[in-house]
Amino acid sequence: MTHTSDPATATATAKEHTTATSLRLEGLCRRIGGRPILDGINLEVAAGECLALLGPSGCGKSTVLRVIAGLDPCDGGRILLDGRDISQQKPARRRVAMVFQSYALYPHLSVERNLSLGMELRGVDPEQRERELAAVLELLQLSALRRRRPSELSGGQRQRVALARALLRKPQLMLLDEPMSNLDAQLREELRPQLRTILCGGRAPAIYVTHDQQEAMGIADRIAVLQEGRLQQCGTPQELYQHPANLFVAGFIGRPQINLLPQGDGTVVGIRPEHLRAVDEGGLAVRVRSREWHGASQLLLLESAQGPLRWTCDGNQTLGDDLRLGWERRHEHRFEQASGERC
Amino acid sequence: MKAGTRTGLVALLLLWSLGPMLWQLYTSLRTPEALLAGAGGLAGGWTLANYGAVLGSDPPFWRYLLNSTVVGALSTLLTLALAIPCAYALSRRGGLLRLLVGGGLLAAAVFPYVLLFLALLQVARQLGLANNLLALCLPYAGLQLPLAVLLLQAAFAELPPELEESALLEGFSLWQRLRWILLPLMGPAVVSTGLLVFLFSWNEFPIALTWISRSELLTLAPAMARIAGSSVYTVPYGAFAAATVLGSVPLLALLLLFQRQIVAGLTQGAIKG
Repeated sequence: MTHTSDPATATATAKEHTTATSLRLEGLCRRIGGRPILDGINLEVAAGECLALLGPSGCGKSTVLRVIAGLDPCDGGRILLDGRDISQQKPARRRVAMVFQSYALYPHLSVERNLSLGMELRGVDPEQRERELAAVLELLQLSALRRRRPSELSGGQRQRVALARALLRKPQLMLLDEPMSNLDAQLREELRPQLRTILCGGRAPAIYVTHDQQEAMGIADRIAVLQEGRLQQCGTPQELYQHPANLFVAGFIGRPQINLLPQGDGTVVGIRPEHLRAVDEGGLAVRVRSREWHGASQLLLLESAQGPLRWTCDGNQTLGDDLRLGWERRHEHRFEQASGERC
Repeated sequence: MKAGTRTGLVALLLLWSLGPMLWQLYTSLRTPEALLAGAGGLAGGWTLANYGAVLGSDPPFWRYLLNSTVVGALSTLLTLALAIPCAYALSRRGGLLRLLVGGGLLAAAVFPYVLLFLALLQVARQLGLANNLLALCLPYAGLQLPLAVLLLQAAFAELPPELEESALLEGFSLWQRLRWILLPLMGPAVVSTGLLVFLFSWNEFPIALTWISRSELLTLAPAMARIAGSSVYTVPYGAFAAATVLGSVPLLALLLLFQRQIVAGLTQGAIKG
């Protein structure tokens, strides 16, 4: 048995597992009983890129993964993996690995068997099996746990075993379905950089489904926002934040939520809470309703003639109850009220 | 409920269910005279002669035990071999088909099979299956198949679908998924279903009685009926009781052997793993 003591070497070994490929979805559709669950999704993920699929629950983001993996049928459009349409291939032949939300570890097998059974049945020879197993155990710091059953592992450990099993598949595409949603907040934050190193930097593209925008921004190179089976916008976290394509993305990305002020001329102005400024005259007259302390900053919930407003300002500022607020023109987002599209 | 009352209730229930068996055991160890004399005291009248008589008869009693074991084991294997694929397919199907097939199976499972035995006898005659010990497996497996499929189908449906999907994405074939992932997790369900089939074939009377007439091919139930009716003038209580006791020993051993799986199988789904 060879032990790779240097983590960098182990990472390199794990990366060799995958071949450089890219994924392209063209008009992907999925219907259940005539109702569209996915309605013409177009996406592209480059080799080594990690794309987060973000959206509220029920928006179809897990369905995208299931259709790509072949667990759900593809009712329209094409799935191109390196230019080859795999949409009608059997799931076993797609060379796609998936980490499930529940991890789906085989409960009757030890960590070691969970990881090696697949290789064994795929006919990998014993020597290579042992080598790859040792490398991936090392990479994910699981060596000490190799004889344990899944029920004897913590949530974070189970997640790492699931990830290790997916890596051993040497996938051309890596799919992760809310892999951190069963972990507590602190652990999630700790695991994020580790997961990022393993996913982005591999040679296969990865799609990471989550409903948590912090997680999406922390892990992914680009984020695709999904709502009611339609792709709303796809771009880097900065693009989504600075140039939301429509009202939904504007309202969904960024916490505290953006202020949306209807203008009466059929447009809506969006202004982020941190871009509001107190002004001496002009601007908008507001009245403070309540305050939330966030440590360095405070969030004020305000009442104005144009509806409620949120304002993030310096935590040390002492303020009266009646204020006037303004903002710079360059921070303003303008949307058409009827279509929701950006002007 | 007070502890005393509870203990009393449990004792009463145990007596109720174990009483007849204990009585058989007692009867099997008494001489005919002691049994007929009634309350002649427990000091005398004990004997092992009944066991000697049963085991020494021609053919010896162990022959029937062996016949029943062979028929039971083969019926169980045949039923499971057919029921597992059926149950798997049914559990992976949705909608109307599952409802119709499930309903049909349920109807077949609750149908009183005694009504079928004359028709089955005709079939046996036509196909020349009379006095063929192994042929008994055919009606036994057939009759138990519906119930076995229903039980196993429920067990398949209870496994989280991601387990199989995960194996599918790892490249496992259908057989590999069954062999390595699903069946090992269904151990309790498979064992308790198998035991139900085994018990049925162990206890089955009308078909065994009508299909088999040669005494060395008899299974337990008709063989015991023969012992009970072997003499016109007396009822051989002792011998019959000894046969009953001997006939239950293998079952008891089987239940003890699989105790853990049976309990797990019966309570399956009660608690989330």
